[in-house]
Amino acid sequence: MYGEVILDHFRHPRNEGSLERPDIVHEDLNPLCGDRVRIELSIDDGVIRAARFRGDLCIIAKAASSMLTEMIAGARLDAVADLRQEELLGALHDEIPAGRRNCALLPLSVLKAGVRLFSASRP
Amino acid sequence: MSDETFELIEQIRRTGTRAVMATLVGTHGTTPRKEGTKMFVAEDGAIVGSVTIGGCVDARVIEQAGEVLRSSRPSLLEMQLGDDDAQEIGLTCGGTIDVFVEPLNAAIYEIAKERAVAIATDVRSGSHAIIEPLDGRSRMLNEKIYVEVLRPPSTMYIFGAGAVAIPLVTFAKTVGFRVVVVDARPRFATRNRFPQADDIRIGIASEIAEEIELNATTPVVLVAHDYKFEIPVLKRVLATDVPYIGMLGSRRRGAAVLNMLREESLTDGQLARIHTPIGLNLGGETAAEIALSIVAEVVAVMHGRNGNSPRVR
Repeated sequence: MYGEVILDHFRHPRNEGSLERPDIVHEDLNPLCGDRVRIELSIDDGVIRAARFRGDLCIIAKAASSMLTEMIAGARLDAVADLRQEELLGALHDEIPAGRRNCALLPLSVLKAGVRLFSASRP
Repeated sequence: MSDETFELIEQIRRTGTRAVMATLVGTHGTTPRKEGTKMFVAEDGAIVGSVTIGGCVDARVIEQAGEVLRSSRPSLLEMQLGDDDAQEIGLTCGGTIDVFVEPLNAAIYEIAKERAVAIATDVRSGSHAIIEPLDGRSRMLNEKIYVEVLRPPSTMYIFGAGAVAIPLVTFAKTVGFRVVVVDARPRFATRNRFPQADDIRIGIASEIAEEIELNATTPVVLVAHDYKFEIPVLKRVLATDVPYIGMLGSRRRGAAVLNMLREESLTDGQLARIHTPIGLNLGGETAAEIALSIVAEVVAVMHGRNGNSPRVR
């Protein structure tokens, strides 16, 4: 039913958990199905040094969260705004049905919102 | 579940008037009610609870309650019952029944809502002392001192704020549970939907399951009907000694979830603690009927029973 990449990230999620002193913490959910994810980032000199996620998530949302935290580790914070949905969907190497795209994209929207709030709060 | 005392006191306090508390402190014979059973009579005439199962004894207690309300002095009713009287209230033969009637001091019971205590009452003077909880049941220690053992209400944790959870909260509250509803979705876990819930927790359900105190008095019911909550919450709950774990779902769905937990290295022995399909087999299909069957099963399990009709031994 799911591709190998999705199943691998679901069964062996990368970066699941919390950071001791995160600079960015943001959490949101899909209000109907209840997928809820929190993303934490540690930032140093404008670079994402560490990323973690925590949530009760369906297979696709969990795999996407895991994949996303791998993709952004070491990236510049200002590059997050340019991260495209297709990049994350493509990295999952599977055809995500239209009705499940929100599951896959939830962590990306949480990440972007968190970074946006963080950046807006900086002088 | 809890001692029904807390609920009865709450009911009588709603009358807003002074009240008298009558406690069954001693019986000699087989009685349908245990020592500690209470009845309250308010100044406005309201009656809550019953020290027997009705009949002449309650009538005499109500009469005495009027006297205690007038005098503000407690009294011990020692009633000799003939065979006819005794049979009327469920005793097999005549004997004695002792009922202590006193002005209600609700403040004492507030303490017992927070922690297990025992209240020692001098049935001659009416004075009280809070002592460390004793094991066992409420009883007369000697001719003078009655000790009432009280435990805080058990908390039922309900994961999932869907349709079944609504009547589930109502039934659980009715039998005396403190009830906490947990869900990720603020649109579902609302005060409007769960006006009786003692607490509503919204967030990452598995994280909340790690934060709350789960112990031998806290049954856990999962009605989320979604593996993304069930798997992590069950993993956490199975690591505790909660007295009941139930999960909503068909036999087939339940088996699938149990298989997923086996893949996470949980043993069949651990998984056998999960009641799924959930509830006693009442045959109902509506949300309320399912909720009733769940609460019935929780009560049966917590009393060490299998939920069969007493006709089937």
